[in-house]
Amino acid sequence: MTRFAWLQSRTQTLAFFAALAALAVAAAVTGVHLSHLYNDLVRHCEVRGNCQLGISAFTNHYNFLQGAFMLLLRLAPALIGIFWGGPLIARELEAGSYRLAWTQTVSRRRWVITKLAIVGGTAVVAAGLLTLTVTWWYRSLDSIDPNMYGVIDARDVAPIGYTFFAFMLGALLGAVIKRTLPAMAATLGVFVFVRIAVQQWVRPHLLSPLHKTMSILSVKDFGFISSNGAPVELTARGSSPPGPWELSSQLVTSSGHVATGAERAAFVQHYCPAVAAPPPFRGGPSHPVAAPPGIREAFDTCQQQAAKTFHVLVTYQPASRYWTFQWLELGIFLALGLVAAGLCFWWVTQRIR
Amino acid sequence: MTAAIETVEVSKGYGRRLALTDTTMTIPAGRVVGLVGPNGAGKTTLLHLAVGLLRPTSGTISVLGDTPGAGPETLARVGFLAQDSPVYPRLRVGDHLRAGTWLNPHWDGEFATRRVGELGLDTRQRAGTLSGGQRAQLALTMAVAKRPELLLLDEPVASLDPLARREFLQTLMEVVAGHGVSVVLSSHLIADLERVCDYLVVLIAGRVALSGDVDDIRASHHLLTGPQRDSLPAGQTIIEASHVGRQSTLLIRTTDPIFDPAWTVTPVTLDDIVLAYMKQARDAGVADATPGLAVAS
Amino acid sequence: MIEFHLDPTSGVATYLQLVQQVQQSLRLGLLAPGDRLPTAQQVVASLAINPNTVLKAYRDLEREGLVRARPGLGTFIVGQLPRTDPQAQGRFRRSMTEWLRKARAAGLTADEIEAIYRTSLRDSFAEEDIA
Repeated sequence: MTRFAWLQSRTQTLAFFAALAALAVAAAVTGVHLSHLYNDLVRHCEVRGNCQLGISAFTNHYNFLQGAFMLLLRLAPALIGIFWGGPLIARELEAGSYRLAWTQTVSRRRWVITKLAIVGGTAVVAAGLLTLTVTWWYRSLDSIDPNMYGVIDARDVAPIGYTFFAFMLGALLGAVIKRTLPAMAATLGVFVFVRIAVQQWVRPHLLSPLHKTMSILSVKDFGFISSNGAPVELTARGSSPPGPWELSSQLVTSSGHVATGAERAAFVQHYCPAVAAPPPFRGGPSHPVAAPPGIREAFDTCQQQAAKTFHVLVTYQPASRYWTFQWLELGIFLALGLVAAGLCFWWVTQRIR
Repeated sequence: MTAAIETVEVSKGYGRRLALTDTTMTIPAGRVVGLVGPNGAGKTTLLHLAVGLLRPTSGTISVLGDTPGAGPETLARVGFLAQDSPVYPRLRVGDHLRAGTWLNPHWDGEFATRRVGELGLDTRQRAGTLSGGQRAQLALTMAVAKRPELLLLDEPVASLDPLARREFLQTLMEVVAGHGVSVVLSSHLIADLERVCDYLVVLIAGRVALSGDVDDIRASHHLLTGPQRDSLPAGQTIIEASHVGRQSTLLIRTTDPIFDPAWTVTPVTLDDIVLAYMKQARDAGVADATPGLAVAS
Repeated sequence: MIEFHLDPTSGVATYLQLVQQVQQSLRLGLLAPGDRLPTAQQVVASLAINPNTVLKAYRDLEREGLVRARPGLGTFIVGQLPRTDPQAQGRFRRSMTEWLRKARAAGLTADEIEAIYRTSLRDSFAEEDIA
């Protein structure tokens, strides 16, 4: 059965690995060049004293490939789920060849286990090689970018988990829906939903975040905001230590609770009247409004007073937890994939009777 | 001898539709059995149950004394050729034969290779490009090379042209002569099977309407033509009767000789006998039709 | 060697058609003792019929003492069917022709004549069976 499963998936597997090999060659050639560029432009930039310039010169190289590799690694799990997982069982059911396959001297249990294992295993290996290639190619670019959380789903081991899940999901939906195209469409829909759901609602709660309290005087953004004619409110956003995943930045009162909109508006009314009643807007892009005299001083007074009343509370995951999150992401999607595989096995052996 | 297929009050439903309703039947082994019935009689369902693709909703079915599809040992004993002879269109003919070797412990590779050669099939050809007749022959070769004790064929010739049909049945009969395998083949036309079957099961609306040795069935059915009358001798059962004026035409079943000189006795073809039973079942079905009970094949 | 053929519309069982064809060939002198009948495989291959049917026909012929199966060699003709004297056949055919001429002169159609013939034939043999 192993050889038969391989025979059936041979064409798609070979095509995929041929494409992967071509990609690896392109990545190798350009990746080595990137390393040289890194050495030339970035490594000893402190000595030359123009790091900012060197870094931007370096990161501007291979813009197309940067985008392409990122996109590829983000799409690959879904594509493998759609084109390998979706038709795996659906095509047999749709074309009627299951009547041939299931009446050979191979039990249906073994048939489904072997198919899932062989093609699913190939998918995992393919995803592993792809993410290895892309992660390797990005290594010097990543060394400059302090925030790895932004690309956590397109580096290292997480894409392997996505691929495993997408494949098993495709197989399951194919077995249940029994038609190839609808199964492929459903695989895409469910996979995208689960990925977004995990990213939005699960990942932030996996580890309890760290907190940091900052003075308003040291935050990067401080200002005033008003929308739709509502009273002007105070706003401030802090920034956490370099490289973390910032979950939230809140303005808190000295008593420790999050400042409400009313409190922030009241503060402005009370301490910063000049700001609360700005001159009517008459300018435009070509006629910038001249700052009224004395506004600068009023702003500074306001900020000094705000620093006594409020603090900025930053909630974040430190950069050091990047790999913990990688493994958690992998674990979650491997577990989801195993659940899908189990359901698929049950459906094929028990329900299609 | 163990029966090829034995069912006891088997019902099979798809959702709310019933394809088989409390069907009890015995299909003997060692024969070439024709399973005949109109479309939707439950033939495909019965064969799928027999090969383990389906499980009965209620009742029990045994094939060669085993529960169908229970495990590889049971699967190895039954060869199945599904309706429309499914193959893998993207795989080559040779791939199919190799798959047969991998998937079946008793695979007769020598037979398969020889058969494919005799059929003039190119092993490098993709199965999707074969003609209907060639595809049926390839699927039959696969089912036979598995060396089963029982061969189940679902409407194997329905989609074939007359020449391909003849060649297919010829292959099948040579296999029966050479390997002594039991065969059950279904068709909605008895004419397709008349030459090859020695046992007949007529399945109508999920029930067995007629079952027996073909020669016995032929010898015990007669077409009588003569003046209309009220009663027939004991032992003669009317299957179909039509009256025109004072003239009656009766299809009767009896094992006794017919002596009444008033009757003209004509031999009757198997086709006519089966049709008469189908008509009888249909008329009975109209008389006591169960509302809401649909029948699927 | 005999070559079998089938008439699917005759309503006669296939094995019986084979038996009758062997008997007819014997009557007509086309088969004689020592001749070999085709093997079941050969008949199956040429007619696409069930091998059991061929074997059944051969068993019937063997019971009648007309053929004998020699394991490994085939089935051979061993018996003879009584052939009626050709002169007697001619005599009866002439009287039948005379009878037919009279029937037609009396206005009977071909179908009527055939109905009379069939019924009489069956009655005649039925009486014999009862007796």
